[in-house]
Amino acid sequence: MTTAATRTSPPVGTLLMRGLFDENPVFRLALSLCPAVAVTTTVKNGIMLGVAVFVVQVLSSVSASLLKNIIIPKIRIPIFTIIIAIWVSVMDMVLAAFFPDLYSEVGLYVKLIVAFAIIISRMELFAMKHPVMPAFWDGFGMGLGFLVAMILTGALRELLGSGSVFGIEIIDASPLLLAILPAGGFFTIGLIMALFNWVDVKRGLAVKDDYKGCHG
Amino acid sequence: MSAPHAQVNTAPPTPREMAQIAIGLTVVCLLASILLGGVYLWTEPAKARNVAEREQRLIGELLGLSVDATVDEVRRYLVWRGPRLEVFYLGDARLVQLDADGRLLATAEVPAEIARSTANADKDAWVEAFAEPGEQDRFQYVGRFFAGRQGGAPAGYVIEGETIGFKTWIRFFLAVDPDYRLRGIEIIEHEEDPGLGDQIEEPYFKNQFAGRDHEAIADIEVTKDPLPKAWRAALEALAEQDLDTWLRAHAADLEAHPDIHAITGATISSVAVADGVKRALANFRKRMDLVEEHL
Repeated sequence: MTTAATRTSPPVGTLLMRGLFDENPVFRLALSLCPAVAVTTTVKNGIMLGVAVFVVQVLSSVSASLLKNIIIPKIRIPIFTIIIAIWVSVMDMVLAAFFPDLYSEVGLYVKLIVAFAIIISRMELFAMKHPVMPAFWDGFGMGLGFLVAMILTGALRELLGSGSVFGIEIIDASPLLLAILPAGGFFTIGLIMALFNWVDVKRGLAVKDDYKGCHG
Repeated sequence: MSAPHAQVNTAPPTPREMAQIAIGLTVVCLLASILLGGVYLWTEPAKARNVAEREQRLIGELLGLSVDATVDEVRRYLVWRGPRLEVFYLGDARLVQLDADGRLLATAEVPAEIARSTANADKDAWVEAFAEPGEQDRFQYVGRFFAGRQGGAPAGYVIEGETIGFKTWIRFFLAVDPDYRLRGIEIIEHEEDPGLGDQIEEPYFKNQFAGRDHEAIADIEVTKDPLPKAWRAALEALAEQDLDTWLRAHAADLEAHPDIHAITGATISSVAVADGVKRALANFRKRMDLVEEHL
């Protein structure tokens, strides 16, 4: 039907690497920073949110790809939002009913997801233009990239802010309380972004203008 | 059909396009609600069972009662007969009807099959039938508490309370002694933000209320001062001990910390819980003064 859909899709490896590094949702695209900053005060919180986003991202990307031929283009964005909301609500209800112990751990994180920019952006930029399998791997890579970003940020903030990792005390003090406050979340993510750029420079790659920051 | 990424089109939509958008969105929302409604019907019974099981377990833990104790549920209802308000309390043995000033209007024996029923809908329906609200009147269930009894004497209460948190309702249980000393609180349901407001569930926050009598609770204030390390350790130790043992060691600490220390970054959630606890305990005392002798 569309010219876009007939374009060949990138191989799985490229899709995964893209989500993890080249277009990492947090460190490259700077999407969904608000919930990411709010939650990553500890590694455990980061993992919980990362896993919840991962699952919803994969389900939503696959759904968008399956439905791409019947979605009316003019209202695709509200439809994406509804698709995400459906998956989030279904997960919330099913976990609450059949996995109460798991739900008491991750329930709060699942409810946070409905307004995640990264999920909508992958549906719009990738899943709508590609067949189901590439859409699955794109969602998989992006979800994984977000999860890794949450773990990295959470680990650094918990170590600096509370002197522990995974709740296990490593330093008997809080070296930098600022790290677990919201402002510290931005500092931490900024530092890791800088690290990503530094690695690029070392590899002899030009840093894209977009990644030099200050684009709002 | 055109490409998903339609060319930039500045012309106003034709009536046909407008109809397409409106009908499309309506159909999508309709399908979504049917789907979610179906999943809700499928999962709700199991969810309600999980919640009820957890509540029962928490009530037992909060009251710290021995095996021979019994726990009665008391449900409270309001009936507006035009401008006149009446209050009903449904206990295991008796239904008590009071007017708005707390004067006794009537009591009735509760039939055994209603008292034993585990379905709240059956109990509510029986009270409504008894109250006989007229066409224009309103009848509403408004809350409940649990009364523990040991050897015929009251052994403590668990009060269910609600307070408005950062996003939506926080539902909690308060456990109190017969002399209205707070034994502890337990958060049942909330949607506070992970990493911030959800700390209201942590021992270092919720145990700050434990062991205080009703006068102390009525006077508590929330402070933003950091929680002292030793006091935090003591509060966390309470999670592993029973209250009376803990109080013997920490009564002086409790005196020395009359305020509730807010969670860092979650003052609104902290104040919400403190206000909710204050309100729930004060209301419960007022109500028990009126109704206890009749139940």
